[in-house]
Amino acid sequence: MTPAIPLVLLGLADAAFSGFRAYAGSDARIRKRRANARAALRGLAVGAVLLLAPMLTAALLLLTPRDQARTYSALTAGGLGYLFPLIVYASAVLLLLAAYFALPFRASTLAMVIGLGPLTLLRPLVIAAACLGAVLNGGGGAALLVGTIAGAAVLCVEPAVHRRWYHHGP
Amino acid sequence: MHQLEISDLITAVDPHTGRRLPVRRTEVIQQLRESGDERAARIVAGLAADQDGVLDPHAVDRLLISVHTELQRLSEELRIGERLVHVLGPLFTAIRAAARQTGAYRLVDVGCGLGYLVRWLAATDALGADVELVGVDLDATLVGEADRLARAEGLTCRFVHGNAFDLPEAATVYVSTGVLHHFRGSALADFFQAQAASPAHAFCHFDIAATPLAPLGAWIFHRARMRNPLGRHDGVVSARRAHSDETLLRAAAVPGIRALLYEPRGTANPFCTTLRPIIGVRPHLEAPLRRALGRDARHMVGPEHLVEAGR
Repeated sequence: MTPAIPLVLLGLADAAFSGFRAYAGSDARIRKRRANARAALRGLAVGAVLLLAPMLTAALLLLTPRDQARTYSALTAGGLGYLFPLIVYASAVLLLLAAYFALPFRASTLAMVIGLGPLTLLRPLVIAAACLGAVLNGGGGAALLVGTIAGAAVLCVEPAVHRRWYHHGP
Repeated sequence: MHQLEISDLITAVDPHTGRRLPVRRTEVIQQLRESGDERAARIVAGLAADQDGVLDPHAVDRLLISVHTELQRLSEELRIGERLVHVLGPLFTAIRAAARQTGAYRLVDVGCGLGYLVRWLAATDALGADVELVGVDLDATLVGEADRLARAEGLTCRFVHGNAFDLPEAATVYVSTGVLHHFRGSALADFFQAQAASPAHAFCHFDIAATPLAPLGAWIFHRARMRNPLGRHDGVVSARRAHSDETLLRAAAVPGIRALLYEPRGTANPFCTTLRPIIGVRPHLEAPLRRALGRDARHMVGPEHLVEAGR
């Protein structure tokens, strides 16, 4: 099984959320559903472009004349190791988001204060854990390289979207 | 040394005329250094000033609007509007039942900033059409921006620059969010006295619940959600400066007012209650308020709670 598709989907979902975060806090209107949706789409678009970097890196590694089958299996194993911490993180975020939207305000405050807020700060650590997972699962240097570039790409989406569309300061 | 919020220091107005006064950057930096807050001093050192060292008022205004806009995001994410309506709804029910007044009731948001609460209440019509919504702030720029935002969305509410207790029309209920910790010493009791002396039926002021975890929670949340260093700094300092339940109950127990604290420490999960209100009602309104709150009334305590807690 190739982990490429779930990894790309997770990356794109993260990019959409990053787009929302890049916009949040820059507009004091009350009604802003359309603006939220536009920000998420901007994040998705920027993420789709930035995620080409790890995909191209993986393609270049596979196209090098050395043992392609071995590189492919190393990247697959590394991808699976990379995927595991991300799945855990994404599951926690989805669960907390469901709680946030479904539960009354006290419980949603709890979901935000102990969950969604701190989890946003933990994103770089989750990427680091994913890179470690890629190496530990036998991905080697190739998977670590692709994973690091992918991690850097998803972490760049929010600042890039904010700077391009929502930075109004001096 | 007590900690200072940068946003309190970088603007100044004449209390009599409301006119903006010049603020010298070096004086603010010195104040912050004397309070032992080197980081805050560095933030202020990075603010624009003219050749005489006076902070650029336009740059300060833009900065404060930006910080308040980020701050609104926290209120949105923590669903502060719903938290307020949870108490204000029953409070207005009690007032309607007791007053049988014809004509509009008036909610006045003291220190409204960008007027998020007032605009959210207007957008959701959460308190009913018979409640006029007014936001008041001493900062002309923030009031102007609140008014612009309300008009941009066609919201039925209004904003006034000035002192909330000098309005020509009486308030039915005074409210605020995140304002109380700015009042230190006797100014806190004076704030409640002013409302007791007014014709208002009640007040309901929400502020950060003072718990040992509040500063850490504020740091995490402001770090995760705010970009501006000034906003991050002041958010954590606010949590450190938050008044205890005891301080609020004692200060609000002024003649003519029954002071009540909703969700004091020990009755609510601190992770669920980031802000909690000190409520003051005319004594005859306590019973109808408790009835309107229903089962939730058990979370509301008076000054006698301090005696019980001290035993």
